[in-house]
Amino acid sequence: MDFHLTTEQIDIQNAASEFAKGEFDPDAALDYDMRQQFPSTIWKKACELGFVGVCFPEKYGGQELGLLENALIVEAFCRQDSGIGMALALSDFGSEMIVRNGNEDQKKRILPFVAQGEGIVTSAFLEEGYFLAPLSTTAKISSHGFIINGIKSFVTLGSIADYIIVVCQTGLDTPHAQTVILLEREIGGIEVSSMGEKVGMRMVPVDQVAFMDVRVPAENIVGQEDTGYFQLQDFFNEMRIKTGAMGIGIAQGGLDKALEYSKKREQFGKPIASFGAIKNKLADMYIDVEMARLITYKAAWSFDTGMPDNRAILITKMIASKAAYRNTYEAVQIYGGYGYMTEGHIEHFYRDAKVLDLFLEPGQIQRNMLADHILGRVSEK
Amino acid sequence: MHTNLYKTEHLLFRETFKTFLSKEIIPFYDQWEKEEIIPKEVWKKMGQNGYLCPWVEKEYGGAGLGLEFSFIINEEMAYAGVYGLMAGLHSDIVAPYIHTFGNDEQKKKWLPGCISGDIILAVAMTEPDAGSDLSSIRTTAVREGENYIINGEKIYISNGILSNLIVVACKTETGNRSPYKDVSLICVEDGSPGFSRGRNLKKTGWHSQDTGELIFRDCLIPVSNLLGEEGKGFYYMMEKLQQERLVSAIMSQASAEATYQMTIDYYKQRKDLKQAEIPTDANGIAEMATDIEIGRTFLNSLIYDHINGEDIIKKVSMAKWWTSDMANRVISQCMELYRDYGYLEDYKVGRFFRDARAHPIYAGTNEIMKRIIGRKLGI
Repeated sequence: MDFHLTTEQIDIQNAASEFAKGEFDPDAALDYDMRQQFPSTIWKKACELGFVGVCFPEKYGGQELGLLENALIVEAFCRQDSGIGMALALSDFGSEMIVRNGNEDQKKRILPFVAQGEGIVTSAFLEEGYFLAPLSTTAKISSHGFIINGIKSFVTLGSIADYIIVVCQTGLDTPHAQTVILLEREIGGIEVSSMGEKVGMRMVPVDQVAFMDVRVPAENIVGQEDTGYFQLQDFFNEMRIKTGAMGIGIAQGGLDKALEYSKKREQFGKPIASFGAIKNKLADMYIDVEMARLITYKAAWSFDTGMPDNRAILITKMIASKAAYRNTYEAVQIYGGYGYMTEGHIEHFYRDAKVLDLFLEPGQIQRNMLADHILGRVSEK
Repeated sequence: MHTNLYKTEHLLFRETFKTFLSKEIIPFYDQWEKEEIIPKEVWKKMGQNGYLCPWVEKEYGGAGLGLEFSFIINEEMAYAGVYGLMAGLHSDIVAPYIHTFGNDEQKKKWLPGCISGDIILAVAMTEPDAGSDLSSIRTTAVREGENYIINGEKIYISNGILSNLIVVACKTETGNRSPYKDVSLICVEDGSPGFSRGRNLKKTGWHSQDTGELIFRDCLIPVSNLLGEEGKGFYYMMEKLQQERLVSAIMSQASAEATYQMTIDYYKQRKDLKQAEIPTDANGIAEMATDIEIGRTFLNSLIYDHINGEDIIKKVSMAKWWTSDMANRVISQCMELYRDYGYLEDYKVGRFFRDARAHPIYAGTNEIMKRIIGRKLGI
């Protein structure tokens, strides 16, 4: 067993960290957050430097790196700024399904497009009812392919996406008979509306997407007909790890800021870092982020070996999102009144961190899933 | 004992105030949150209806009611998530300084306006370098003839933009004496020469609550605006912090209760209609309900003791930190019961989440509360 990152992994980590420090202007971050705007300029630069789509095969514009390397980049980005970090991390949301399940033509079309920053791809699976099976969005077979009807909720980056990967119900009698279909945003019959302001993650638009008699040819199926539900489970696993990486980045960012501030800020004639109340917090924060990092890296590593450790992956999302929440909560506390003010540059970390608890599925659901694993009620892969 | 803290008259008052809130405040609150300010007329409406400083004696224009009525107002405003209009700060935190330490002339001059809402109060203690450590304030008030000349800056002052009478903690002596013996409380009126205001600061929550910076540059204030005696300000503040912390705990507890209730209502409805039930949810809900019950029991006992004039510094410090952390814990968990919807501002839980984060910070941080408890325990 070796817990060290390889030289290549350390180089990637350093490169991502340098990029984030150089490009993520703190005031620009507050401005993007306030105006609820996607940081397009920074995203383009990140793509140019190869930080997006790193897991894609080289012949499709990627670097054939693993999820662990991807996690290192996401962590470094979110550590520097939670908002910009998450926006960049989600800019290829769903392309993982093209890598894993797409055909040659889809890969050629989508992957270089995403990696080079020509546009955004997203995926749409959640619906108002919040059940993942059966879905109310349907794809019915027609003479030329499919006709899609339905409404998807919580589509990240929906309003600025060029491609939407949508999960549809294809078997009406079998809840799990779903099909993943790739759609061009401009295909016609797609209507996107904002779900409104959010508490945090405000640089990432979250939208409702309505499909009204959207006609697509059969070759737009990603993977096989009726296997979508299972493709989605793989995608979720990948996203849980990526969310874990966002969590450790945000948690570490909170700790970085808390350390810096508590050493500098003096009250009662000495730096507040010398008071027991603050030292306790700093130690707890360090523990939280270190624990979360260990399990996140383990989960990513297992995913890259081709034998994902499903339990570790569930723990990753839970622990890392809790670490992000707790560390940013305490960082705000250590900043005191300044922490509650936007200009303190820490409170948006706190608002952003909370999304990780809710994203994909809340901690309660994951605990429930983990318990089912431990109780032997889920077949391990 | 404290289970019957409130009598029929209190319950009737609560209902009347709730009706007032639902007619005059709640329908407009989202708009004020966007505008990041509460219209001054709303303060006057509060005053006209007797909801500001109801405890002040009739001779100064008040209703002479018990503190219970003030606490009911604070509680109901927190239930509704109305933090922008900080009646609690005005009526129960700042006005008592004037009432207790002011002379009769000062009381006659200012208290009627505080009751009518023509005067909006603020208290200015915090400075860029003096947060938890109040003894390190640097704003000075130097006496020159019949005036004080005040110089310095105050930050994060609630009601900082709207207030027209501000109790300012200043150093009236510098140098030799104990840092605790040279603080004085001086009332600064709007329009005083040399007094100006900085920005209305943006925050995580409490968007309609004007949180400002106050700037004093050779600010000229008549000596007659001094509250009580010179050099006793620090002790005056310590004396009044018990009630400030109790008000803070009341708000924290109410915010947890309100969020819990709205979440349970939502959850039950979602469960019936659309949402798959998760077995672990019910367990978490039971834990939240327990937290809230424990907080309420403790808090009501403190309200009772405080009204009866007991020294409850230690316990109120416990309540302040515990209820404010509990409120954040509960509200954070409530958001998860809304699933992704909890993150949307259209659902009120998100605003309660942002607002609640202030409770562990203001009125003495929770770390300071634990310091006080430690001292009281002799460690």
